[in-house]
Amino acid sequence: MSEPVHEFTLKPLDWHPYVRPVDLETATDEQRDALQITPSNTKISDYVLVLAQDPETLKERSPLFNDIMYSKEGLSRAGREMGALAASFVNKCIYCAAVHANRHIQLEKRPEVIEAIYEKGLEADLPDYDQALFNFGVDLTAHPDNVGVYQFYHLRETGLDDLEILDLIHAIAIFGWANRLMHTLGEPHIKE
Amino acid sequence: MVDVIDKVLGEDADMIALRNRRELLKQKTQASYEAALTPKNAGNFSFALRAALAARMCALWKAAELEAHYRDLLKSYGETAFDAILDPGFRPGEADAKLDAILERVDTVTLTPKEASRADVEKLYAAGLDDRDTVTLASLTAFVNYQILVVAGLKMLRDH
Repeated sequence: MSEPVHEFTLKPLDWHPYVRPVDLETATDEQRDALQITPSNTKISDYVLVLAQDPETLKERSPLFNDIMYSKEGLSRAGREMGALAASFVNKCIYCAAVHANRHIQLEKRPEVIEAIYEKGLEADLPDYDQALFNFGVDLTAHPDNVGVYQFYHLRETGLDDLEILDLIHAIAIFGWANRLMHTLGEPHIKE
Repeated sequence: MVDVIDKVLGEDADMIALRNRRELLKQKTQASYEAALTPKNAGNFSFALRAALAARMCALWKAAELEAHYRDLLKSYGETAFDAILDPGFRPGEADAKLDAILERVDTVTLTPKEASRADVEKLYAAGLDDRDTVTLASLTAFVNYQILVVAGLKMLRDH
């Protein structure tokens, strides 16, 4: 039996739920319907099967998540991953952070940016564009009741237009959502 | 149905035009709101309880406009049994152990999700929640926090 992971890592992880996943054999029609629209039909993850305990929210959330992370134009894919990563660092969702840090590396081929975040955490010193996105993500996640105007202007100074900022806000916010499921309903283990 | 985020942003024309450029996102955000607050199958969480918990999360983050929306929604059900929940300092303790466990979980997952642990989930089960209840509570809390973050971010865009 592997041990749960309590520190940020870029290694491949498994997710072990605290809550019983839905059993496909006994799933209700509504649960089956909600599960169909997830990308992989043959092998459904425990995470999605846990969320299927509440099928109505799962059914709307999957297409919302995909649109926020993958829609055309606006903020780059990597920029959205940076928003996801900032949120996941503040909320200490080790699993989400590992997935989206690795996606950022695949997309951007600049592993040093991600390594800096893994070394220094929220205090990481990054190239200006990455820094603006990361800091706004940290700020909005950590205290949505007091978002720093300075962080917002930094986005503007970096040249982000309204649509790009709209996309960044949603990438951060959808991880405020995802982290509150992934990190609160289960825990990561090193993949065996 | 009225789009909740457009409403709490004051039906600002520029914000509506910008949000309409991401039509699917906007539509699925509203559909998620309806699934979390007014699902077809409410299970053990009545609409009134859901609205009261949502208002509490907004109060915890001082999201005044959204809090007002959820208070109005709660009022529209004509039920007063959950009014105490609206005060973020309220915890019933042993007088209502189940509600106490629910509120403890909501407060932790809203303000300090990084502190959430397996022990919290075990407490929910011990207080009488089942698998579905636990996921429903997490899904509601996660959705409302998403909404709070979107509104906070969009207010920056609107005002600066």
